[in-house]
Amino acid sequence: MAIFGCIYEQSVLSGKPAKGKSLLDLAFTFSPLIEQTSADTVVLNVEGQELLYGAALTDAKAAVTEIQCANNVVSAIERCAARMRLKINVAISANPDVAIHAARALKGMTIIPPGEEFAKLGTLPLTTIDYELIGIEKNRGEEIHDTLASWGVRTFSDFGKLSVTAIAQRLGQEGVRLHELVHGRTQRHLRLIEVPVSFEQKLELEHSLTELEPLAFILSRLLNQLCASLSSQALAANEVRLRMRLADRSEHTRTISLPIPIRNPKTLLRLLLLDIESKPPQSPISAVTISAEPAKPRMLQNGLFIPLTPEPEKLEVTLARLSKLVGAENVGSPELLNTHRPDAFRMKKFSIAAARQSVSSNPQSENCSSNCVVGFKRFRPPVHVEMQTVHGQPVRIKKQTGSIDTPISGRVMFVSGPWRSSGDWWRSDVWARDEWDIAVANSNSQSDDVLCRIYRDLTIDEWFIEGVYD
Amino acid sequence: MKQAITKAQIAAEIGSHFGTVFQYDEQPQPEFLSTGLALFDQVTSRGLPRGAITEIWGSQSSGRISVMLSALAYAAGNAEVCALVDVNDCFDLQCANTARIQFERLLWVRCSKSIERAFKAIDLLLQSRGFGLIVLNLADVRPTYLRRIVSSWWFRFRLAVENTPTVLVVISSVACVRSSAALVIEMKYEDTHWRQALTGNNINQGLESESCHLSLVKSATKTPLQQSASAPSYSHLFEGINIRIKREKPVFNPTELENIPAFAILDNIR
Repeated sequence: MAIFGCIYEQSVLSGKPAKGKSLLDLAFTFSPLIEQTSADTVVLNVEGQELLYGAALTDAKAAVTEIQCANNVVSAIERCAARMRLKINVAISANPDVAIHAARALKGMTIIPPGEEFAKLGTLPLTTIDYELIGIEKNRGEEIHDTLASWGVRTFSDFGKLSVTAIAQRLGQEGVRLHELVHGRTQRHLRLIEVPVSFEQKLELEHSLTELEPLAFILSRLLNQLCASLSSQALAANEVRLRMRLADRSEHTRTISLPIPIRNPKTLLRLLLLDIESKPPQSPISAVTISAEPAKPRMLQNGLFIPLTPEPEKLEVTLARLSKLVGAENVGSPELLNTHRPDAFRMKKFSIAAARQSVSSNPQSENCSSNCVVGFKRFRPPVHVEMQTVHGQPVRIKKQTGSIDTPISGRVMFVSGPWRSSGDWWRSDVWARDEWDIAVANSNSQSDDVLCRIYRDLTIDEWFIEGVYD
Repeated sequence: MKQAITKAQIAAEIGSHFGTVFQYDEQPQPEFLSTGLALFDQVTSRGLPRGAITEIWGSQSSGRISVMLSALAYAAGNAEVCALVDVNDCFDLQCANTARIQFERLLWVRCSKSIERAFKAIDLLLQSRGFGLIVLNLADVRPTYLRRIVSSWWFRFRLAVENTPTVLVVISSVACVRSSAALVIEMKYEDTHWRQALTGNNINQGLESESCHLSLVKSATKTPLQQSASAPSYSHLFEGINIRIKREKPVFNPTELENIPAFAILDNIR
């Protein structure tokens, strides 16, 4: 049989936070099944707590009755409330509505054994009835109360002694429900509120940390706890925030946004460590806090005939390592910008989810072709060269600055162009150029000609090699 | 040899009693990833072998990057996830866009001219597994540097890529992967198709009609002949390149050699 406890907060003591919040904290200390009936009243299901609040070890052989357990629970609630500076009434009953009325009307600790509900509540005045518990609106409740007062019915006991049939004839089904409430025979489930889960782990350190290895142990412990709490809620993290309080009282914060929700502590640990290595704190660490943004875990069914792709968790670690190796700005998926400016692009974070979603619409993939696009190898930055021209056409190039490994210089064997282009004239970085495709008899390698694209920058009147056709 | 015959005899005699037990040592059939170029695939038998290293080497303007772009476009178009480790940061996005590479499926790693970083990046990518095609672009690295690369790196890559569906392609100016490469292709520049309308100094009029050519074009929808009939434009300063493809490893069988094309044409697109 279920046992319900009701905690009613009498008044606000000095130095206590807002009403309701502390009451919920108190209730969640004893049970995860909580109904917040009103701001000052909570009902909790305290069934099955015999192991915690049953008989003491010395009385192990004695029969542990539910009353004893209820006594212990109520005592524990009162002690906890005293620590939290809450002034409360507590009532325990097999019926939640009876417990609510008892807690609101009777001061201190009240335990109502099953079958004694009517006897315990009999002396209570009808003004204490909460009509909303049995689905009667406030206005209608007042009408019923006036009717009962005109009949001379003042208390629960007076009303309970009336015949149910007679009440049904005069007050309808609402009267019948009220009669059941007074006798403690109503049946309903608690309207449970969700446990406020906080995905945050914090650790204050006795001695400040200066090295990564001991920090890794601490992060591992915190992440294990964090991922365990995420798993218990069937959730994963799509963002992890690491806050480190430093010895100089400043705060070092790092945030890792994950493209897919992850709850593997090892993966998260690697990602955090790689991130800290790339941007380490400036002074020793005195406290560590890790919080996670919860999200639903990834659910994906791969097809049998779809090529394998990297595991998202593993890929994230690989990308983090690559970022550490070559710099975050040098790793990713390229994206062309919507401009005619040569070599205008930006790097996006490579995401396996985006790769999977992209539609295969490449006609080359359908049929092999006998033709192929000429590749172009771009020099970044373009190579500045000294150009010899005849009638405006390049006839010989001489490399001026050694910015590429393969030098290109020599007589121009063939030339095609120019093609003039310009843009962004309204900006300070205006560009204007004449482009040529040329074949150069490479004097440095005795082998073949080299096909290049050169251009004359019209804004500064200098020649550059933009790249090589390959 | 004697031992091999003896084993075959034993297998023939008692093999029927033990099912497939004698077939366990057989290597599985190798899988290939097409480059998207029929003639190139013909030269390489069926394309680029999976679980092995392919080396494509040649001089400047020999079509190495063109083949790389085609392979990346084909692989990405077939739902493979690709990676390009670019030592000298020379990957041209306009050209890649013309080749219809799906950038969402391409991980581009720019190594700022550091070979060591590039090799570490390749190692990380191979360890993470799941990539269909990984390209190491050493095209602009000097041959002297390439020859100094210790073989242990290549052995490491060969072991890492073995028994995976990944194709590892190395683009270089000289053959440097040595024995670790399962397929070695040499590419050579022959000559260029220039637009007559814009010609200033044509040193090589026309092309010899070889038996088989690979055509690299600047427009995927037009043949070089159609382009020359259209008005000159930015996209068509020259029309194409004639290249030669030679498979160095594995060595051709005499019967296979008759069917292998020797030359290819690359046409120009911008």
